[in-house]
Amino acid sequence: MNQPDSVSTRRAVLASVGTFAAGGGVVYAGSQLGSESPSQSSSSSDGPSVHRSSETTGFGIDLTGHPILGSADATLDMYYWSDYQCPFCRRFEAETLPKLIENHIGTGTVRLVYIQYPYLGQGSLTAAVMDRCVWRQVRDDAPERYRDWHSTLFDEQGEKGSGWASRDSLLAITGGVDGVNADAVDSCMQNNRGEIESSIATDVDRARELGIQGSPAFIFYNRDTDSDGRLIGAQPYEQFDAKIADVRNA
Amino acid sequence: MNDHVSRLLAAFAYPLSTGRRTFAAGLVAVGTYCLLTLSTFPTYSMQLLGADIGYLDEAVVALTGNMYRTTGALGLSLVVAYAVTTGVALTAAFGRARVAGRTGARGLSSVVPGLLASGCASCGAGVLGLLGFAGALATLPFQGNLLRLAGLCLLLVYLSRLGDPRQCAVTPRTGTE
Repeated sequence: MNQPDSVSTRRAVLASVGTFAAGGGVVYAGSQLGSESPSQSSSSSDGPSVHRSSETTGFGIDLTGHPILGSADATLDMYYWSDYQCPFCRRFEAETLPKLIENHIGTGTVRLVYIQYPYLGQGSLTAAVMDRCVWRQVRDDAPERYRDWHSTLFDEQGEKGSGWASRDSLLAITGGVDGVNADAVDSCMQNNRGEIESSIATDVDRARELGIQGSPAFIFYNRDTDSDGRLIGAQPYEQFDAKIADVRNA
Repeated sequence: MNDHVSRLLAAFAYPLSTGRRTFAAGLVAVGTYCLLTLSTFPTYSMQLLGADIGYLDEAVVALTGNMYRTTGALGLSLVVAYAVTTGVALTAAFGRARVAGRTGARGLSSVVPGLLASGCASCGAGVLGLLGFAGALATLPFQGNLLRLAGLCLLLVYLSRLGDPRQCAVTPRTGTE
């Protein structure tokens, strides 16, 4: 019954080598997947306009303080909860959002409402506060700049906890976006941080009431028929297409 | 100590003793990896797989990248190690049950610890999410890596006690008679 020691040792060594090879392969693949270039992110200022609104939608979302991409008269609302430190949000921005803009938002059937859902630590909250300050700065004269800033931040996303989402780092990134004044954004953050954090906390509470537990998260709301549907995570574009069709026809 | 290490090595070598065992251990390891990966974002996984099971590969690949970005190379390595060790532990546990199985309770008692230890892999990555605490792992020390490490240690302890399931461990006598 007993195996010779040398055979067992050889098998143990083989098992170890195999395990390390398989594990190393998966980790290497994970690192490559995690560092995909976001070359397709929707950073262009061309395309649908960005605008503001102070209405509360039929679904109960207060649009005050939230940039809205697309026609104000679009039939469908698409509420988009995101966190600037969330890799899945970056994936959505790079792979799916450009197609949604081209096929649904740009054509006037869907309007996208950006809502911050910072849950991945202090860096996420800092980025969310900065998001509000950037929007306050550009919303009247150059609202399309918000999209550029928003896309740039996802393009520059680093690993969670690496320091990329510190205030100084985010301000440095902001300084590189045309049409956004980093000094004014810094000043806004220093003067209004408490009030903005309180407003963001209200949004986060509302999201949790809606059952949202991670990001990116989406709720589609048909303003004509009062029906809705949701998608969680960076799903393939086809799933978004199907969901939009479902809610439009509901 | 040396005894534990040699039993651990023997347990890891056991799945390679036949082609069927290697295949079974590999299958369990791959299944465990998929389960652990999908459970890092359960609502996404359930919605996507509910729409079409064909999205399984897409979900696993996407969540692997996501896991690397959120928990780092260490977190992903721990999950891979956990999956492989689970494959070894379950293969060894069932091997032990086959050897000692006809003795009823004794066979069961040798399998249950393996199943429990393997099951705890889910505790590390999925159950918190399933219970509605998404992001909870992100708030845990080291993004939950400590929890994953603890689960992995549990499996290794089990294997170091089990050894090669075809062999009976001889406990050295201690004390006086």
